[in-house]
Amino acid sequence: MSSDLERLRLSPHDIERRKAFVDFRSDDVTRIAAIKDLVVGNAERYKSTFFDYLATIDEASGLTRNRNLLEQAKRLKHEHLIAMVQGDYGSDYVEQRVKLGMLYSRARLDARVFLGAFHVLMHAVGADITKQYAGAPQDGFERFMSLKKIGFLDIGLILDVLVAERERTINLQQDAIRELSTPVLQLRERLLILPMIGVIDSMRAKQLTDGLLLSIRANRAKIVVMDITGVAAVDSKVANHLIQTVAAARLMGANVIVTGISADVAQSLVALGVDLSSIRTMNDLQGGLEEAERLLGYRVVRIDDAAPGFGSRPNRD
Amino acid sequence: MPVPILKQGEMLIASMQSNLDDQDLMQLRDEIAEKVGRFKSRGVVLDVSILDVLDSFATRTLRTIAETARLRGAETVIVGIQPDVAIAMVQLGLTLDGVLTALDFEEGMEILVASIERSRQGGG
Repeated sequence: MSSDLERLRLSPHDIERRKAFVDFRSDDVTRIAAIKDLVVGNAERYKSTFFDYLATIDEASGLTRNRNLLEQAKRLKHEHLIAMVQGDYGSDYVEQRVKLGMLYSRARLDARVFLGAFHVLMHAVGADITKQYAGAPQDGFERFMSLKKIGFLDIGLILDVLVAERERTINLQQDAIRELSTPVLQLRERLLILPMIGVIDSMRAKQLTDGLLLSIRANRAKIVVMDITGVAAVDSKVANHLIQTVAAARLMGANVIVTGISADVAQSLVALGVDLSSIRTMNDLQGGLEEAERLLGYRVVRIDDAAPGFGSRPNRD
Repeated sequence: MPVPILKQGEMLIASMQSNLDDQDLMQLRDEIAEKVGRFKSRGVVLDVSILDVLDSFATRTLRTIAETARLRGAETVIVGIQPDVAIAMVQLGLTLDGVLTALDFEEGMEILVASIERSRQGGG
């Protein structure tokens, strides 16, 4: 089983289940065999129907304007039409469909558009079958319905691939955001800064607290300056997260200075009645850093203008 | 298992060796209260770095030890609370307000020495 099938959990058992969902039985194989020549003979035309339809739709431009992807898609679609009437719908068949689904996903083909195009294709096939079985419409209809079962099996697979790929993208992006979002930086020995940006939800707050406490231990920090200038909104929930983080840091022996509480945030916190009296606050990051340096016993002195600068180093001779 | 209490100059050092039951904690509380007076100690270090859980009884007892020792003339610092323990304590609302805390033993000693120094200057 290929890795794609594994990731999408398409085991042979699952494939059988999917066939059962669309009510596919052994007599369907016989009926499809009867229209095999018709479909294979016209496969090229059905393929064109599918892609001509897509070409008329703006939302499909990701596929139709990318020559490389379009060529691959056409080739796979042709193989698909041939495979549809071969009577063998096992792992190999499913793997081919998944491959096509992946390609659609790369081309950002909308599921709604795909469904429309697939319907147009099936309609063309149905029209031909009706024509061929004009004398025995009942037989024609049943054969077409057997083929349609395979069609629905395929739709199920393609949609699952599209959804799974979208979820995978979202997960990757979330991981990236998570890694970016909570840096704990050492500014001086025993002094950390934690610039918080964006929206703080419960999960991020927990990560933030965990990350901060681990950093406090790793860097032997005594003071942490937590800057919330970039936090979009501070409600009572976020404020409680802040209070908890500060309390946990204190239990580990580190003092936290919170900076960057804007006038609006300050007013809304007071209006909410959140008690932040246990937290040491400073107006901005600069003030927080100066306070932290003072607490750690640093004194930052500006080098006198008269002191030797670059290029005017006194000659020692 | 009872906690050994070591005397080092003006300091008393209690380093918890294993997870303690309530009996051990109460014994520790009584012994420290007694020894602070006997040795005229100025500082107490409680090292909890080995503990992976601090429940409400343990936290309350630690606070009692600190307050009792203060009444008997010694400042107490609790050192080595682990990150996970700190988070759990905060979630339970056990924040040990008013009790000194420090990252590790060395840090705790520094804080105590500074604090004793300050109180001497203030007193003299």
